[in-house]
Amino acid sequence: MPQSPELDADVTRESLLAEVNLNAPEGGKITFLERLPFGKALIVDRYQLANGLMLLLIEDHEAPVVAYHTWFNVGSRHEQVGKTGLSHLFEHLMFNESENLPAGEFDRKMEEAGAEVNASTWLDWTQYSSSLPKGQLLTAIPLEAERMAHLVLKPPQLNSEKEVVANERRFRVEDDVDGAVNELLWATAFTEHAYRWPTIGWMADIEAFTTEDCLGFYRTYYAPNNATVVVAGDIEPAVVLRAICQSYGPMPRAVVPLEDVRPEPPQTSERRISVEKPTQTEKLVLGYKSPAFGDFDYPALSLLGEVLAGGRASRLYRRLVRELELASEVRISVGPFRDPGLFELYVSAREGHTAEELLAVVEEELSRVREQPVAQEEMDRALARNELSLLASLETADGKASTLGFYETVLGQPTSAFERLAMERKVSSSDLRRVARRYLVDTQRTVVLVRVKDVDDDDLEPNDSSDSDAEAA
Amino acid sequence: MNQALPTNPTEPRVLVETSRAVPLVTLSVTFTQGSVLDPEGLLGLTRLTGRLMRRTGAGLSADQIDTRIDTLGASLGVDVTHSAISFQGTCISRSIEGYVEVVKDVVAKASLSENEFNKLKSESQAELLSMLDSDQSVARHWFRREMFADHPYGRPTGGTLASLPKLEHGAAVEHAKRAIRRGNLLFAFAGDINPEQAQRFAADIAAVVPSGVSPEVEVGEPRFVTGRQLVVVDKPDRTQTQILIGTRGSHPKDLDHTPLHVANTVFGGTFTSRLMHEVRSKRGWSYGASSHLAYDRRRQPLSILTFPKAEDAAPCIELQIQLLEQWCEAGITQTELDWAKNYLIRSHAFSVDTASKRVSQKLDEVLYDLPKGYHEEYLANVQAVTLEQANRAVAERISPKDLLIVVVCTEKLVGAQLQAIVPNLEHYKVIPFDGEVQTETKA
Repeated sequence: MPQSPELDADVTRESLLAEVNLNAPEGGKITFLERLPFGKALIVDRYQLANGLMLLLIEDHEAPVVAYHTWFNVGSRHEQVGKTGLSHLFEHLMFNESENLPAGEFDRKMEEAGAEVNASTWLDWTQYSSSLPKGQLLTAIPLEAERMAHLVLKPPQLNSEKEVVANERRFRVEDDVDGAVNELLWATAFTEHAYRWPTIGWMADIEAFTTEDCLGFYRTYYAPNNATVVVAGDIEPAVVLRAICQSYGPMPRAVVPLEDVRPEPPQTSERRISVEKPTQTEKLVLGYKSPAFGDFDYPALSLLGEVLAGGRASRLYRRLVRELELASEVRISVGPFRDPGLFELYVSAREGHTAEELLAVVEEELSRVREQPVAQEEMDRALARNELSLLASLETADGKASTLGFYETVLGQPTSAFERLAMERKVSSSDLRRVARRYLVDTQRTVVLVRVKDVDDDDLEPNDSSDSDAEAA
Repeated sequence: MNQALPTNPTEPRVLVETSRAVPLVTLSVTFTQGSVLDPEGLLGLTRLTGRLMRRTGAGLSADQIDTRIDTLGASLGVDVTHSAISFQGTCISRSIEGYVEVVKDVVAKASLSENEFNKLKSESQAELLSMLDSDQSVARHWFRREMFADHPYGRPTGGTLASLPKLEHGAAVEHAKRAIRRGNLLFAFAGDINPEQAQRFAADIAAVVPSGVSPEVEVGEPRFVTGRQLVVVDKPDRTQTQILIGTRGSHPKDLDHTPLHVANTVFGGTFTSRLMHEVRSKRGWSYGASSHLAYDRRRQPLSILTFPKAEDAAPCIELQIQLLEQWCEAGITQTELDWAKNYLIRSHAFSVDTASKRVSQKLDEVLYDLPKGYHEEYLANVQAVTLEQANRAVAERISPKDLLIVVVCTEKLVGAQLQAIVPNLEHYKVIPFDGEVQTETKA
């Protein structure tokens, strides 16, 4: 009797792993965990090394390219007061010298291989991504393993990189109205949880970091048992498994400390801030306390955000931009975080209109979704937008690796992007009204009203920090 | 590449790239004349007209059209450059028939309603005002205006705060008749679609577009800056500066374009380039440091972008001028050349890893008058570049004596230092970031 293809695959994988594990370093022995469908056509295989490294492989031969991502389970939530921005600083430091590579060689070798290399940090995670031509994957694997375990941190490079990060902060926050106001929103909305400080860190903390701070952080969080490697694209799994086993196998586990999370106490009254900025028009920024990404209510609230401000046919865009001509831009985002975050609403006023005018209309619309059911047609529109967005994000190998790595790191379920879409399809109009009533309430919100700063040249203070000119309204 | 070009010149030109990787189809309907069609004094008219079409297809309201597009699981934008008006977007492939209907309504059946025109004009003015919050956008705006001066490429496609109020509904209606012509149509489809389907959809859309061609606008080669010119765009409260340095560049038709492209990769084209190494890695002066050679139908400049803090702006400019001079005088080394060629050849995989990127390359070839087979022969052309060719291209094409330096900053804090640091500065100009008023001095 012929065997099923699934059984054939199991047998092949079993013999492959037996061969790989035969000569593996102790920490490099690989265990197959599960096979998961990813969309209609793709399959993800999930493995784990003995030293704890999670490994996700997805074969996709559409183009001769490979995406290689490393996701570390460390973000700004793991930092301490006075040491904010350390996770993000590491995103920069990881491109520097290591024991077997002089400074600059990592980038040089990767670029010579044709790689596109990048990294990003957020509240819950840090991610390093490389996209390579198919034939160059074996160049990248030992280089990525080298910097995970053998980074060298010296004062000259640290000082230079601190200066780069300070400049990045000037670019994204100090001289950027939206960045500065966003920072103020989170710092006001959260009083206890580590989400209250910005991922890039406060300027004073960035300037004060020492090599000891960095070494301690590296030894604590940059370890195989705190990371997931995702390899997506035109790969031969056997080749990847052998290389990963040999490159990462010698790494020991680290003792990753228990997270010292301070839950955010319930917010019981509105917080309102008025701030002057050198901008052309007033802005309104609202942050309502929102559920964690893994919460049952998240898909419904996310869909409600799309109904309210997703695209130009959304309710708030139509009212504020088209009908009343009060605003030039409206957007909403619901923080995709491990812990409860913010449902953020940003509106930019047109010249001559005030943030209070915007707020009055926003309140009317929020009241409407709390009181009246949302029509099925509006939900269908929002669902279709989300489906398009997910499919578009999966066009490239890099997009697939990003999606898998994100879901693995935040939810522990790498392929659940499609499940989330299915969950959104099950959301009813009554669910939307319920989450509107539960989360979009005044007592759980923070309001930032941005005024136009009347700049007098004689009073220029170029080093004003972003929140120094904030005042309670 | 599945490409369907017409044997009959009256049929629309259609480019197709099929891929079943994801159930998406991208579509681009392009008219091959862009904002160079703006009449004198009416900057922004072409873009406003394109956006008005997008909002008034089939006599529907903008809300109705957006709802139709969203509900199909689709997107549709209009992009107006100097050389093209392009309606482009993506849809989930199950909705392609409905999507083509919407596109057809937009490009050929727009009502161009006056009420919507007035709303759009007001919205566009608000968007321009918002753009002033972005220092990098302000820098890019003034860089183009100053680099190209009176050339059409110096005119902002989106218009200006001064030009938009002058635009009238009747002018937009007339402009649509000039710009939207079957003879200027070019289609590109990519993704979950086969060439026969694409050809059918293209013919369907083309059939309802008015026949004829747009008036040909003669766009000559731009004359780039001569001497060294410093333009400070004065904006209050800046802790940081945005610096764009430019000089004449090239067009892919120039025989030395590919050698210059390879040499620029060494100079400022990658994370390990000379510029990045000196400005960011060694000194930490700027988060980003890169140089870029763009292309259009006519030559574009070489542009260099950095954004150091105010105190570092002057030394950062001084360093960049020194690096430019070294690059032109000494050229690049054989090791650098080999490295750059490896990088360009291997990383090319990411220029063609999706169907939409592949079809975009073909579209660019037609739209920007690139040499035939420019992208198909790209790898061979890069591989063939010699050290002598690369260095001669830099020496002959790039002129550090002729530089435009645009700096967005708080002038009273750094203006004097900037003037002092640029050797042989010929002109110094200060422009308020939110206005067209300028003060000019001979340096």
